Amino acid sequence: MLFPTLTFGLFFLVVFTIVWAANGSNEWRKILLLIASWVFYGAWDWRFVALLIGSALLNWGSAELIWYNREAPAARRRAIMIAGVTGNLAILGFFKYYGFFVEQLGDILHAAGYARDLPLMQVVLPVGISFFTFQGMSYLADVHAERLAPAKLLDVTLLMSFFPHLVAGPIVRGSDLLPQFEESPRLTRDMAGMGLVLIVWGLFKKAVVASELSTGLVDPVFFDPAAHSRLDLVAAAYGYAVQIYCDFSAYSDMAIGIAVLFGYKFPLNFNQPYRAQSLQDFWRRWHISLSSWLRDYLYIGALGGSRKGFARQCLNLMATMLLGGLWHGAKWTFVIWGGLHGGVLALERIWERIRPEGFPRLPRVLGILITFHIVLIGWIFFRAESFDAAIAYLRGIGTAGVASDVLTPLACGLILFGMAIHFTPANLGQRLALHVRLLPAWALGLLVGITILIIDSMRFEGVAPFIYYQF
Amino acid sequence: MPQDTPSPIDLPEPELDEAGLGWSFGVIFIASLFLLSANAASLRDWIDDQPPSPAQQQAAEWGDRWVETTEGLGIGLPRKAMHDQWKRAEQARFPGSAQKEGAADSPIND
Repeated sequence: MLFPTLTFGLFFLVVFTIVWAANGSNEWRKILLLIASWVFYGAWDWRFVALLIGSALLNWGSAELIWYNREAPAARRRAIMIAGVTGNLAILGFFKYYGFFVEQLGDILHAAGYARDLPLMQVVLPVGISFFTFQGMSYLADVHAERLAPAKLLDVTLLMSFFPHLVAGPIVRGSDLLPQFEESPRLTRDMAGMGLVLIVWGLFKKAVVASELSTGLVDPVFFDPAAHSRLDLVAAAYGYAVQIYCDFSAYSDMAIGIAVLFGYKFPLNFNQPYRAQSLQDFWRRWHISLSSWLRDYLYIGALGGSRKGFARQCLNLMATMLLGGLWHGAKWTFVIWGGLHGGVLALERIWERIRPEGFPRLPRVLGILITFHIVLIGWIFFRAESFDAAIAYLRGIGTAGVASDVLTPLACGLILFGMAIHFTPANLGQRLALHVRLLPAWALGLLVGITILIIDSMRFEGVAPFIYYQF
Repeated sequence: MPQDTPSPIDLPEPELDEAGLGWSFGVIFIASLFLLSANAASLRDWIDDQPPSPAQQQAAEWGDRWVETTEGLGIGLPRKAMHDQWKRAEQARFPGSAQKEGAADSPIND
């Protein structure tokens, strides 16, 4: 069930009405939201609803055990936490990485002269598994560190299953959402106004910009780079940078907007990432819920951050980004993408350390340009089917001709638009919401209807799944 | 754990001292009603895509009649006009483009 479809629109209208009608009882309200979330998830595959429930039980049970043993020696509590995290990783590992690792093991054994038939299986990847397992692990880590008290089974299950963020984030932590579950929420004009702005803006970015660039430019060029000119390859690389931003940030915007219409606030997930002046700055603006998760629980929590010396800090950065790359999927191209980001992040730290005093800093514009193009090279690996395909793509940029057969004025306009929105005032949506909240319901209803009608008339036929559904 | 990622929902000015639930229902109801009238073709297409059943056939008949009604009243025309414009923009090419000449003039059939 994709957000920008009529099926989801009707589902939302029914759930919105029923849930607010039950607002007198917070417990019933949450139960109804939980059932709705399972229906939403079950629309992909009902079997995975059991996995979602099992995962919630694992994290709820582990957190209860940690809390029950809070007077016990720290080693025991830590062991329970590690067992719970291992359980989450086992679920993720089996569904997401089993085939990849068995294949790699087969290759290694073959190279060593031990040709063996390894037990290969076609494991179907449950949608959003990376998101809800990361949510579960952070919940356990927070309870273990006593940053969070364990929550009721209903609340933990809803935290992991709540349909707006379930399949593609943001990764909403327990500390963000569990306190909001404690009492019946209220819906103010400010909340609803901003929610509607985010939903309509997200719909535009996904249905118009991302879909049009994907079908008209990016997919044909990445499918067969050798058949396209240098100009097409360059345009498709820029097009993909805009597509992935407009696709993923659109999902986040709509998720935040839908959640707030049920009375719950999610944190910001994107903040104009392509205006970043360094890669460190980029990661403070791109997929903020994942980058802050990796920073807090992996880079600092598990690896020690900068506490063990500068060399170790650089290694930790590299390890974090390599694992962050692998989080996206079981492919070497994601590992290389993570390695590129980790390497440049480490180089930035090293340069900061060795930079002579008084040495001029890069002008802001140059910093933005360099950072964007490093990110752009990373996107080519991220999008390519294989390492060889990515290298062939990069070689093609250097060698092929310039006659274009897929670049259109519309695609150029959309790429420019996708870049230009990064240089508008950061709180433009919020300023719009300040006006929207003052409108009478009939006027805003008409405005929303007209805007959706315009978007619908511009959208590509059919809706492609969001890129991040595969993660 | 301190969270350094504020929610975009928190607006930069003091909150309005008015309940928003009824207002939100009103907005969503009006928007839905508007789209039901001005975008009837999308509803008809969605019904047509559902698995066949007696109920689906019945709904498809209602959908067709609803589209005829809104088109008869001219309510569906703005959407069609905008869609045709967008298709023209999609088919426009740069002068000297490697794509077949005349692509921009190809009939718009959706």
